[in-house]
Amino acid sequence: MEERNSIVKTPLNNVLAQRRSKSYRRSMQSCVEATNLEYTSGHLTALRTPRSRRTPKSRDITKQVDPDQVALLVTKEWQLSYVTPLYHFRHTQLKYYSKQLSAFIVSEKQQGLAIEVGQELGFKVNFSVVLGLAEMDEDAETVFIQILSKQAFAAKDDAQKVVWSGWLTCVNGDLEYLRSLPSEFVSLPLLCTRGPESLTVLIKSWFEKTFDCCFGPLGINSTNLQWLAALWTGCHPTINIQYLKLVWTLPTLPPMDVKYTIHPQDAWELWDSVRQDDITDVSIEEVTRFIKVLQSHFFRHFRIDLSAGSLMQVSTALGSSHHSGKIKIASPTYITTILQLLTECALLKMPI
Amino acid sequence: MAKAAYLSRSDLDSSSGSDLSVSSRTSNRSLRVLEKERRKNEAGDPFLLALKYFSEVEAGTPCLGNHVLERNLVLVERVGLSRGLPPEAISVMLDYAMSLRMGGVTCVRVLKFLIPATVVPQEAVVRAVAWLCVSKIAISTQVIFLRWVLTVFDMIDSKDNLRAIYGFIFNFVTEENLSPYICHLLYLLTRRESVRTFRVRKLLDLQAKMGRQSFLLHLLSLYKVFCPELVTLALPSRMRSGFKNHNSTWKAALSAVQKRNNGQVSSDISLTLGVKHKTNSRKRKYHHLELPSLSSSVQRNSPSSSSRKVFPLEQLHSFPQLLDNLHCIELPSQMGSLLGSSLALCYLDYVQDDSAFLRLNFWLGHALHEEFLFCSGDGGSGSSSEALHLLNMLLSTQQFLQEGFSSTEGFLYKFLNVWDGSLLRPQILGLLSDIPVVPSSCISQLLFEPLMQLFFTSTLFFKCSVIDCLNNMLLKWLTWHSVYALEDGLDISLHSHTPMNMTLSGFMDSVMELVRFVGRLATVGLQLEGCHSLFLSFVLDFYETVCDMFLKYGLPLVVMPPVGVFYPALFATDPVSVDRLGYIMYRYKKNLISAKCQQQETKQAFHISRQTYREFNHYLLFMVSCLWNSKMFLPGMAIEVDQELLALSKVPEPWTSFDLIHHPAFLGYALDFHCKCWPERKEMDLNSIKAGKQWVWYLEFLFSQGFQGLQQFVQSSINRRSAAGTNDQGQGDSQPTSS
Repeated sequence: MEERNSIVKTPLNNVLAQRRSKSYRRSMQSCVEATNLEYTSGHLTALRTPRSRRTPKSRDITKQVDPDQVALLVTKEWQLSYVTPLYHFRHTQLKYYSKQLSAFIVSEKQQGLAIEVGQELGFKVNFSVVLGLAEMDEDAETVFIQILSKQAFAAKDDAQKVVWSGWLTCVNGDLEYLRSLPSEFVSLPLLCTRGPESLTVLIKSWFEKTFDCCFGPLGINSTNLQWLAALWTGCHPTINIQYLKLVWTLPTLPPMDVKYTIHPQDAWELWDSVRQDDITDVSIEEVTRFIKVLQSHFFRHFRIDLSAGSLMQVSTALGSSHHSGKIKIASPTYITTILQLLTECALLKMPI
Repeated sequence: MAKAAYLSRSDLDSSSGSDLSVSSRTSNRSLRVLEKERRKNEAGDPFLLALKYFSEVEAGTPCLGNHVLERNLVLVERVGLSRGLPPEAISVMLDYAMSLRMGGVTCVRVLKFLIPATVVPQEAVVRAVAWLCVSKIAISTQVIFLRWVLTVFDMIDSKDNLRAIYGFIFNFVTEENLSPYICHLLYLLTRRESVRTFRVRKLLDLQAKMGRQSFLLHLLSLYKVFCPELVTLALPSRMRSGFKNHNSTWKAALSAVQKRNNGQVSSDISLTLGVKHKTNSRKRKYHHLELPSLSSSVQRNSPSSSSRKVFPLEQLHSFPQLLDNLHCIELPSQMGSLLGSSLALCYLDYVQDDSAFLRLNFWLGHALHEEFLFCSGDGGSGSSSEALHLLNMLLSTQQFLQEGFSSTEGFLYKFLNVWDGSLLRPQILGLLSDIPVVPSSCISQLLFEPLMQLFFTSTLFFKCSVIDCLNNMLLKWLTWHSVYALEDGLDISLHSHTPMNMTLSGFMDSVMELVRFVGRLATVGLQLEGCHSLFLSFVLDFYETVCDMFLKYGLPLVVMPPVGVFYPALFATDPVSVDRLGYIMYRYKKNLISAKCQQQETKQAFHISRQTYREFNHYLLFMVSCLWNSKMFLPGMAIEVDQELLALSKVPEPWTSFDLIHHPAFLGYALDFHCKCWPERKEMDLNSIKAGKQWVWYLEFLFSQGFQGLQQFVQSSINRRSAAGTNDQGQGDSQPTSS
């Protein structure tokens, strides 16, 4: 009571000062204060795109992560999106989210029919945490979402069919960025989805409504495809990559696709030759040189300058990735390296 | 009238004597008292008597052929339909009708003329609902009653007790004929605490039984607003219009009564849901430009918040409502939805919640990035009408909040590098002028370089818009500064902090950078465009802001225009520019003098450099000797021309060619003046204006043409006494020289 009185008596200008002393800019500062990005957003990309990376380490991920869960992630092709940080997302509430999301899907599918949350419905949604995929303390744990559909006339113990799956992840995200976010926000910037587009749209819209986040498509640009080509080639001594296949599209009329497949051993030797002494890190210069040499080799034979076109697709036995934002990781061994690269791409898309 | 009342009363006595005798047996004494009172008020209001009749009449009284009843009914009906019934009358009549004391027919008739004059007492409605629960009222009558309640709902004086019997009312929802009306009533009464799981289930059962009824869906959608964790649904677009009106029976009478009573009580009968209508624009693959709709958050995990009374923004429709619920308003699930509603923005401005701003900025930044930088819309390069709409809304929002969003700022820095300078130009430049103060260390890289490229390669019109935009930006910065300086008790020492987390000196550096940048732009722009007067006008606009920074905005900074601006303005061919330059110089002088005074008085550390004073004096001297003293091209002046070269030009008396008479901007006025002064003269001799009184008259003539700036300049900087007679004196007097 005493306190309330004092509030009432506080002169007006005190309140004013408090109100004014908070500027809209503050909200941004609290977010990126430490990162020095505030005034350099125009050059944000240049600042944060790494010029060098660690050489991929072969690591048995299944020692940290439940192998069943790893099996869910690998050998499938995923469509990528980026997500702005999730507001009030809690890893402890996954069950509640499952109920909410399934009710939401049903109500959206049956426009104009109210649905009680928590009822048994035609869809079953499973949220689960993939523990161990995160690399640092700042990385939020990966969340895996699976949507099962119940067949209307199926027998009771028939296995339910997985109609959609997706996961939100963050591996080795930019430390400064993650630390600058207020605690109410959870950054899981990379979303991989698989399933019908209509469901993806619904699920995204549920996330947007529930966690006040925004989704956007995440493509993999030429530079990142080159990185992937080099990183995968570098793995050849430990795991046979079997082939290195690159697809270029040249801006001719009509556009010309060039598929360029390289023998794994040749690719590796070439990569090894452009590599410098530094064992632990790979630099962007090495990667560009690697691609340049491949291109000049092609030019010598076919008189076609691939550098005039753009790299659209890279694939090896370890995985494949496409310009439009599709990725397939075939082997769990190097999954961390790939996810780190994709997390970077996703974080670069953050509007703030 | 009194006589009539008396008569009616006696009629009643004689015709229904039996009734009276029944009642007299039971309450003889009270009747006697009443009778006495009646006699006392014999000339009293027949209307009150009628009411008394209805409050006392016993159940089972026949109504067929009951003339007393008929007369009283007609009386009350007439009052009801013409003037409206007072609260007590409503109470009595409603009770009389709903208790079915004289059958259902009368009940319906009474309900139809229950037009409230002011308010409806809540207790009457509660009692009526109680009657609804116990007596056997015909369904159709029940419907009429509910429709009546819905019609007068806004006039019910308070709704607490009605809400307390929410459960009773809810029970009627299963009654098939009543449920549309019950749902509507519940919709009006529902508070967060009335939403319970068992009620949700009941409604869902009904839905299963009755199908997609809009009234059920509307009630359920309100339940969803309060408790999205219990129920979810997607309202189809054709169903978004809200409940039907049920006021047909009373509408005409009600509005007549309200009109008569000067509309003291306005009842907003039409009720619509707060659901936004989707724009039926072409379908876009990506919907990032679409504002999310206001809906409450599902995230109510903490028990403290669930027990607290909350008011979802979705329910907010008026400013008084906002004020009443300011303490318990709940932010919506998607902050982007606030952008469309000024009420919500008021609240946002009030709460100053960092997370909320961050959420809003994420949404906004995402929309802007996707549309203009990532271009992932269908062929989208921001040219669509949706983009225009978004930017316009953003502009008005920022103007409303008087501050720019940080996500807009970040977006603009990136976008300036890829902008072609024509796409949505007014909007982009408008947003640009809203950006907060940029630290001087990076202002050049973020703002100046991209702007410069655009500036030098574009049309005159774009150049003007850029200068205008930078002028607005400077004005906003200065305004912020002056507001903060005021709040800090005018503490403008160098190290006081402004809320932009910037020291005063940092702020001054930024302002300095901006002013200098515009100086450079203006110099080159004037050259490129051949001193175009339109462009010059925008440049002078800017310097009108700059020259007053100290006096108007309390910023101890004076920056003079560069020579590339000063001389083109002085030698401009249009008198308006010269006049404005005069005004600007006058304001510079005022600012410098008062800065100097303050410096001497307070001995404070702020200082305006001697260089500034020197520059000013230099300009002033030149301007005075050029316009007033007809001295030009002399050695030591800013513009020196070789005498031989001047002679080659064959201009007679070249040093006079820019005085107030021969200046190209004023020559026309001089000729005009000459004609008026010596109408009979055939030969034009402009120099004669300079002599004696004519000079003074000429000046008066010029000032009367509206050249106030010139007038202020002359009055402040030229010693007129000495100038009155001859033309070779006149010097800048009382110059604030610091050396």
